[in-house]
Amino acid sequence: MIKVENLHKSFGDIEVLQNINTSIEKGEVVAIIGPSGSGKSTFLRCINVLESPTAGHIWVDGEDLTEPGVNILNIRQKIGMVFQHFHLFPHMKVLDNLTYAPLTVKDVSKLEAETHAHELLSSVGLSDKIDAYPNSLSGGQKQRVAIARALAMEPELMLFDEPTSALDPEMVKEVLDVIKSLAKSGMTMAVVTHEMGFAREVADRIIFMDYGKIVEEAKPEEFFSSAKTDRARDFLEKVL
Amino acid sequence: MNLDFSQIVPYIPFMLEGIWVTLGFVIIAIVIGFFIGSFIALVKISHIKVLRWIADFYTSVFRGTPLILQLMFVYYAVPQVLGYDISPFLSAILTFGLNSSAYVSEIIRAGIEAVDKGQREAAMALGIPYRPMMIKIILPQAMKNILPALMNEFITLTKESAIVSVINYLDLMRRAQVVGAELYRNFEAYIFVGAIYYVMVMMLTVLGKLLERRLKKSD
Ligand SMILES: Nc1ncnc2c1ncn2[C@@H]1O[C@H](COP(=O)(O)OP(=O)(O)O)[C@@H](O)[C@H]1O
Ligand SMILES: [Mg+2]
Repeated sequence: MIKVENLHKSFGDIEVLQNINTSIEKGEVVAIIGPSGSGKSTFLRCINVLESPTAGHIWVDGEDLTEPGVNILNIRQKIGMVFQHFHLFPHMKVLDNLTYAPLTVKDVSKLEAETHAHELLSSVGLSDKIDAYPNSLSGGQKQRVAIARALAMEPELMLFDEPTSALDPEMVKEVLDVIKSLAKSGMTMAVVTHEMGFAREVADRIIFMDYGKIVEEAKPEEFFSSAKTDRARDFLEKVL
Repeated sequence: MNLDFSQIVPYIPFMLEGIWVTLGFVIIAIVIGFFIGSFIALVKISHIKVLRWIADFYTSVFRGTPLILQLMFVYYAVPQVLGYDISPFLSAILTFGLNSSAYVSEIIRAGIEAVDKGQREAAMALGIPYRPMMIKIILPQAMKNILPALMNEFITLTKESAIVSVINYLDLMRRAQVVGAELYRNFEAYIFVGAIYYVMVMMLTVLGKLLERRLKKSD
């Protein structure tokens, strides 16, 4: 579903991503972990072209998004993204947050979009908030709405960039539970997270990044019990 | 001190008429300024460097020279070059409209840029194209910053409009001068129109406050 080859990204003189090679299969859940500043967000943001790669290739469903003239909007519509700070549209009700993008870019009727929005909201446990404005919601509720908003586009891949890092501790679980059940439903996902227990439980594969490189890729049980590299072991020692 | 307001009484209708003259060209100038200013703001946030540079230069010229000079330039200097005898009215709406567009473009640009960058990214990540993103996501939020500042610009424009008296345009200010000259008494006429300006500006201020309160309500 996603294939990344020799991906480089620089901001000015600083090379933030150096020669990233990996792929994500359909239905796979990948957890990306690593110290802050190691390029995890930048990597995710390259996949939906919120950052344009400096060099290398990224294929989404066989389409190379680094080709000139490629339809980036189409590619983005296949990829849902959930941000650390939610970024809900504050001037729209929860329902409109969910239906605006499908109504604008997809060929769906208002009724279809709203029915779908109802289903999604009930699946994240927020049916009663359909007419609320985002500012009246708690952090955990906001993030669940943000997940539902991304799902409303019926993406093939979901990207999560530290979805629980901005939440009060008591709200982390409700959001992780939603992400877990999404993973169980077979959604392809890449999740940047500092929640090691979650990564271990949900991920099919761990990608460990440091200084803009993928230092180690492994199955969770291997990675958490016997990481191969010193850097990964150092990191785990600090966070576990 | 010998004040005598009774002497200006016959001239009151003449001076009151100045309200409409002033309001008339101020409103036209505001509309011109708003449309041109919005367009320039869009240019400023675009990705075309040359256009952005031109827009910035345009703005800096209007902000970097005295308004009275701009007005006299349009009224006296332009006819010399174009051979077209421009009327005081046209000079006034042109100068104030263009001048205001420079300020308005800055207000709108700053208002748009003050919207959390995450909003744009969230819209982009959903695959929403540029136009609907600007119109439905960014601008409605930018309005909260833009409207109060625009209101201030309108207030400024209303006060500064008195400058048109120098090109002999019969606005409120100019009428006070005329009456003062005729009566050989200036105090009463200036007090009279001064009060009118004050009331107009206060009304705009109250309007702005009401607007601001309504915008806050949606939070
Ligand atoms: N837009 C940007 N401009 C300049 N530097 C950036 C930008 N975005 C990220 N960086 C830098 O790139 C590095 C990696 O950032 P990021 O991908 O956010 O790391 P992580 O998500 O792993 O914490 C950091 O050093 C950060 O300062
Ligand atoms: Mg990050």
